[in-house]
Amino acid sequence: MRLYATAVYLFLYLPIGIIALFSLSAGRSATQLQGISIKWYGRALNNPFVMEALWTSVKVAFVSAVLASVVGTMAALALTGMKGRLRAGFDLMVHVAVMIPGIVIGIATLIALVSVFDIVNPWLEAASGYRLSMGFGSLVAAHGLFTMSLVVLIVRGRMEALDRALIEASNDLGAGSLATFRQVTLPLIAPAILAGFLLSFTFSFDDFIIAFFVAGSETTLPIYVFSSIRRGVTPEINAIGTMVMVASLGLLIVAQLMLRRGDARRQ
Amino acid sequence: MTDESTPISRKKFLEELRRYEKGSVTRRHFLGVTGLGTAMAVMSGAMPGLVSGRARAQELGDRAVLATWPNYHDPANFDLFTDETGVFTQVNVFGSNEEMLAKLQAGGSGWDVFVPTNYTISTYVEADLIEPLDISKLPNYDAKAFQARFADAGTIDGTVYAVPKNWGTTGIASNSNHTGGVVDSWKSFFDGARDQWTGRAMVHDYQLTTIGNALVYFGHSFNSVAPNELADAEKLLIDVKPHLFAITSDYQPGMRNGDAWLTMCWTGDGKQLNSDMPEIGFALGKEGGEIWSDYYAIPKDAPHREAAYALINYLLTPEVNAREALAHGYPVADSRTNALLPEELLDDPILYPAAERLSALEFGAAATLTDPNRAELMARFKSA
Amino acid sequence: MALTQKQTRWLLLTPAGLWYAALLLLPLAVVLIFSFGERNAVGGYAPGFTFEQYANLPARFAAFRNTMTLAPLGTLAALLIAYPLAYFLAVKVSSRWKTTLLVLVIVPFWTSILIRSYAWIFLLGGRGIPALFDWVGIEGVRLINTPFAVLIGIVYGYLPLMVFPIYVALEKLDKQLLEAAADLGTPPWRSFLQITLPLSMPGVLTGTMLVFILLMGEFLIPAILGGGKVFFVGNALVDLFLQSRNWAFGSAVAVALVVIMLIVVTLYGRLARRFSVGRDDVGLM
Repeated sequence: MRLYATAVYLFLYLPIGIIALFSLSAGRSATQLQGISIKWYGRALNNPFVMEALWTSVKVAFVSAVLASVVGTMAALALTGMKGRLRAGFDLMVHVAVMIPGIVIGIATLIALVSVFDIVNPWLEAASGYRLSMGFGSLVAAHGLFTMSLVVLIVRGRMEALDRALIEASNDLGAGSLATFRQVTLPLIAPAILAGFLLSFTFSFDDFIIAFFVAGSETTLPIYVFSSIRRGVTPEINAIGTMVMVASLGLLIVAQLMLRRGDARRQ
Repeated sequence: MTDESTPISRKKFLEELRRYEKGSVTRRHFLGVTGLGTAMAVMSGAMPGLVSGRARAQELGDRAVLATWPNYHDPANFDLFTDETGVFTQVNVFGSNEEMLAKLQAGGSGWDVFVPTNYTISTYVEADLIEPLDISKLPNYDAKAFQARFADAGTIDGTVYAVPKNWGTTGIASNSNHTGGVVDSWKSFFDGARDQWTGRAMVHDYQLTTIGNALVYFGHSFNSVAPNELADAEKLLIDVKPHLFAITSDYQPGMRNGDAWLTMCWTGDGKQLNSDMPEIGFALGKEGGEIWSDYYAIPKDAPHREAAYALINYLLTPEVNAREALAHGYPVADSRTNALLPEELLDDPILYPAAERLSALEFGAAATLTDPNRAELMARFKSA
Repeated sequence: MALTQKQTRWLLLTPAGLWYAALLLLPLAVVLIFSFGERNAVGGYAPGFTFEQYANLPARFAAFRNTMTLAPLGTLAALLIAYPLAYFLAVKVSSRWKTTLLVLVIVPFWTSILIRSYAWIFLLGGRGIPALFDWVGIEGVRLINTPFAVLIGIVYGYLPLMVFPIYVALEKLDKQLLEAAADLGTPPWRSFLQITLPLSMPGVLTGTMLVFILLMGEFLIPAILGGGKVFFVGNALVDLFLQSRNWAFGSAVAVALVVIMLIVVTLYGRLARRFSVGRDDVGLM
């Protein structure tokens, strides 16, 4: 079992090792090692386009994942045990949101939002001097639509299988529904929310095709990387990938250490 | 070129470049002596008050959004533009002309300046997505400095919609270790791909060049939309498909790790592959093929129009453009800029092929972009 | 807190409902309208009312056929690889390490998919794994740009999406239950079949459904690891919307795709419900 898990982790990290290796290339190809150098790290850190794109991606992924987790969990809670037409309608929307291919929802969202903005903007501008346009907000909203549906599916799966007797018992014992939620339900569904959050963040951080349409004049990291194909992708992108990876692994180690210390204190 | 039209000479420009590369002068000094002063002087002549920098920013706005190709600019040029005008350049990058067009058609792009290729411009005009240029706001644009063929596509019915930037070609890259020399005709490309190089050739995931070069194989025009000629091309492509290594516009990885031996290839990629791996050569197809030219243009709904003009004008300054060319390596259409570039660049057979090789090439035509038959042919080829 | 259950429910559903209304129903209306329209002469959409686009669907038959073959296969492969890992993480790992190991499953996906695919191009290409085969005497192995390479790419790319729901379902498995079964002399394979597997079913269903649905719209893996020679519906859509800009036909293809998926998922849900007796809802329609 342990051996199998190790093999799967190896499978997952083998390409990452290759990426890190090529990031040290002195040449200008992202797919070949031509001498050893760390110059691409310097280039990446000094390239304002890349760093801005990276920062935009992190912000969009984080905000959309938080919103998707909260709103998706709320919906999943409400949908559990619910029947009737409202439930069926909601289920249909959740599924269709996951089913529409990214390219289609991307372009359709852009066209729909631009049409709405055209109607709303003159009125809004007169009232507040402010105009709606495509950008950070539309990115978060479009990514969130998809990832919120992921969260609903995962959290609801967990809810449906929970021991409802436990929740009812808590309510019977006089705990308010909020208290029941905090002390009984939330801890029970926490792994599902975490799984949903991680999938949401990852989807948003790595999405090219939806972002391509709804980003307005923002550039996310995947947009930058994909458009580089035509002119040759450089190891700069490998360097960024490696740095993101090292930073995430570092955070993970810190979190693990803190968890341990917490455990030790409790004992 | 005389020094009157180029305020700094090639010799001086290159001297400064070498000093900068050696580290004996700062980037700021280099940028300063190689054109900033002159660029701004010319601009201020046309737009009084521009030199007063930030004071002018109110009229120009605080930003310009530029939709362009990746690795196509020297970022330092934009910093300098910001310093001088207060306008921050926000850069959006794109992978293909069709993507740019699709996004402008869908609306809400927020772009101020974009960089279309020759064959798309008339489509932008027809779809009413592009702004006629007010040449008086582009004093650094000197139409005489450009060969007509690189500038023609920007002018439609006497109205200038776009001014030229860089140009390039689409040819064949081949690994001579395996192909025994440079492959320099579409005949040997497609015939070899089905024979001795089976499983080793790549064509673009892009109808213009893939169908175009298959047409050229038969001696038809690169831009043909005639049904019988397209039928020839389709037969060839379907026939060659099982023998292809890949259908992709991202052909560098396959060429670099040696899995693929030959591919349809754009100038810039050809140059990059060749300088990293000398065994990979680049040649234009004898029978013909594509030559292209990129332009600067302003979309109809540009939110910062004045800044857009200022940015284009700035990027057209020969010294600024020369620094751009040194950064991206594509051939420049502006003879004033070429006068500043190192001779070895201008003599490079990949970037600046001999004139007789170029004469067989064709500029892509707008009809290919909108012809539904070519699109359907491509879909049948890919799903065959 | 004097909210009735009904009020609470409405309160919880409103944000999601508004989100769906603005960003799903509105774009969906655009797609439907487009699918009955026409292609503009310069590309894009021209208003109209015609069934022409739907009548033209057979022109993309090959793409639908390819997708319908490889998507179920890819889903199955991902399930087979993911299940043991999810089981290991949920049941065998101590609670202190669980979260860390779970996050480790997804961290590789925070580098650009394009760069990860490049790594696979190298690994599956002539200088990667085939070179190893060569070295041990098996020559002429070709991996890159084959359907097999696409399958590897699919398993790799969709692993977390399969692992997470199964992990979530198994995580609450009461280990005492398994120990009790063992004490009673139940062989491990039997307690797996009778306790663990049924418990994990909701997760398996959610995971397979998600992976299957997303695979149906996949375009990158076939383009990069399949060398563009394997043509999925997703690739057809990208070409129609971005290259030939035939938005009307593209919309019709998209509607057809969603309808097929809804049918498949509904049938699958029915089938699954029959096998998970006593559960009125297993996270499916």
